[in-house]
Amino acid sequence: MVETFTPAVCGSRRRQRLALLGFGAAALVASALVGAALGLLGSVLGARLTLAAAGLALLAAAREGGLIRLPLPQARHQVPERWRAELPLPLWSTGYGAGLGAGFFTFQPVSTFWVACAAAVALGKPLVAAVCFSAYGAGRTLMAVLPRRGTDPTRAVEALVGRRRLLLRANVMALLVCAGLLIAAPVASAAITTLGPGLDPAVDATTLARAQMGSGGTSILIQPSGESDVVIPNASSPALDGDLLAYVGSAGISVIDWRTGASIAHVDGQVSKPALEWPRLAFIRTDSSYERLIVADFTDPAAPTERQIALSAVENELGRPSLSGGRIAWHKVTNRESRVFVERLNTGVRTLIARSRIALEANPSLTPLRVVWVEERSKSAALRRRRFDRPGVRTIYLTTGRTRLLWTTALTGRTAYVTRWSQITGASTLVRVTF
Amino acid sequence: MTRRSFLGRMGGTVLAVTGGAAVAAAVRPEESEAFHFCGHIWTTGSCPNPLGLPRIDRHGYPLRATDGKPIDNLGRVVNAQGYPITAAGGRMLGPDGNPLPRGPRTRLCEEWVRERFGHDARQQGSWYRCCNDQIRKLVDCCSPSRRRINGDASLTGYCWNGNRVFCVMYYESGLPC
Repeated sequence: MVETFTPAVCGSRRRQRLALLGFGAAALVASALVGAALGLLGSVLGARLTLAAAGLALLAAAREGGLIRLPLPQARHQVPERWRAELPLPLWSTGYGAGLGAGFFTFQPVSTFWVACAAAVALGKPLVAAVCFSAYGAGRTLMAVLPRRGTDPTRAVEALVGRRRLLLRANVMALLVCAGLLIAAPVASAAITTLGPGLDPAVDATTLARAQMGSGGTSILIQPSGESDVVIPNASSPALDGDLLAYVGSAGISVIDWRTGASIAHVDGQVSKPALEWPRLAFIRTDSSYERLIVADFTDPAAPTERQIALSAVENELGRPSLSGGRIAWHKVTNRESRVFVERLNTGVRTLIARSRIALEANPSLTPLRVVWVEERSKSAALRRRRFDRPGVRTIYLTTGRTRLLWTTALTGRTAYVTRWSQITGASTLVRVTF
Repeated sequence: MTRRSFLGRMGGTVLAVTGGAAVAAAVRPEESEAFHFCGHIWTTGSCPNPLGLPRIDRHGYPLRATDGKPIDNLGRVVNAQGYPITAAGGRMLGPDGNPLPRGPRTRLCEEWVRERFGHDARQQGSWYRCCNDQIRKLVDCCSPSRRRINGDASLTGYCWNGNRVFCVMYYESGLPC
């Protein structure tokens, strides 16, 4: 095919450059589009394919190393020669570039292309996959552009063929490195991790807490990294801040040191959904008419002060709040709309993060930089993410269907936790999403 | 069984054999009727709705097409106060064992179309057909848009004040015909 792009075939040196330009642009765009599509497919699938892609890379390495014999799925087509006779030069050169750049419509001498496809799916990020995959189109372009003036245009190809053995060895090494990276790297597929039964996640640095439903009631499981687990019986709705844990017990909200069990603070009454950034404790207080979002300040534990942040009629819902970096986030759902708010506690400046009259926007969690929340619709539930300094919103986790829903969240750095539950069985699972 | 549901189930069976249940779920026949829905044969498309067919109550709020029970925007059957309920009629429980709170329940034309498409939409004209032995009221959701939900040019239909039909909904009157 490369001999097509010569002044003799194209008609002049200017037309050759035009053909190369069309070919290169189309090859790059086509390969980027393939990468984006595969990345999109991975993001829709929820990206649990890293190990499968790593296995495929190992299989391909064994094949290219001559250890096993496996046929490759491929279309053994060449670019249609008649296009050159029937179509104008810009069209046929672009068509050739698109066909070869996409990769699926031509001969593949090695299996690396398919490993790249699997890795793009495992990556689960359309933009990144598009950029990575465009290297394939760039390689195709390079082989057409490389021949210098006055030399045989097939010389570069023949030079490569002459070093075939070396190339195959390098390819095997590349596939092995690829497999190792896929196993080790926390790419998108590793970013979605199921953490077992539980709900209402709370996280502080490397410590994760969750509520667990059991036959004996609800308990809280605290899992500090590298240490043994701690269980707090007869407790629910955990909130963590360092060694402090706030939870809902039989008589209100308690704040304890979960390492020692020492009691730090207590709030009586019909209170629920605590959030903790000591000495601040946020919670929902419910009476016969209203739900109130309260922030209590325990700077003086003997005389804590309370401040009402939001108020809602009891038939509506004020959601589980989140405290971080001097901000508080919460949701309010009525039968007319749902909204997620963030407020700076020192200034009282309130920001509307999400609002919908169709979807259920709920359960926010925040860090000083970001906020995540759940957006539920009739046929899907998404974990959404936004940075405070940017307007863009991204979906970092998605479930489809009407039965697998998302519930409460927690956030630390670039790691989010979300409760996924089944509307049919009521069973809940914690999912970790690293983005 | 309608032709669409038959084809949907056929496709689902084939895919279940070749591609697994996950793929088959994607083509599971939903609440649909042949040729759009009774009384409306493939012209303007349905208004956006939670469960697949734009059945509404007299005020424009969504109903489950199969039995006319009120549903919220997430497609859950709700009671008179708007709380999601189970098939047995009790409050639906969340993963923590507590009753689920209310979700939004808003009008398909005025709120759904406005949020999803940015149009100042409202119910205007309507007409009637006999479906399943009762009178069905077909309702135009009208907006100033010159494009309808199908993506092509919109028609005036039964809309007025310069509005055109953006999408359609229906209301079962319960009156025999």
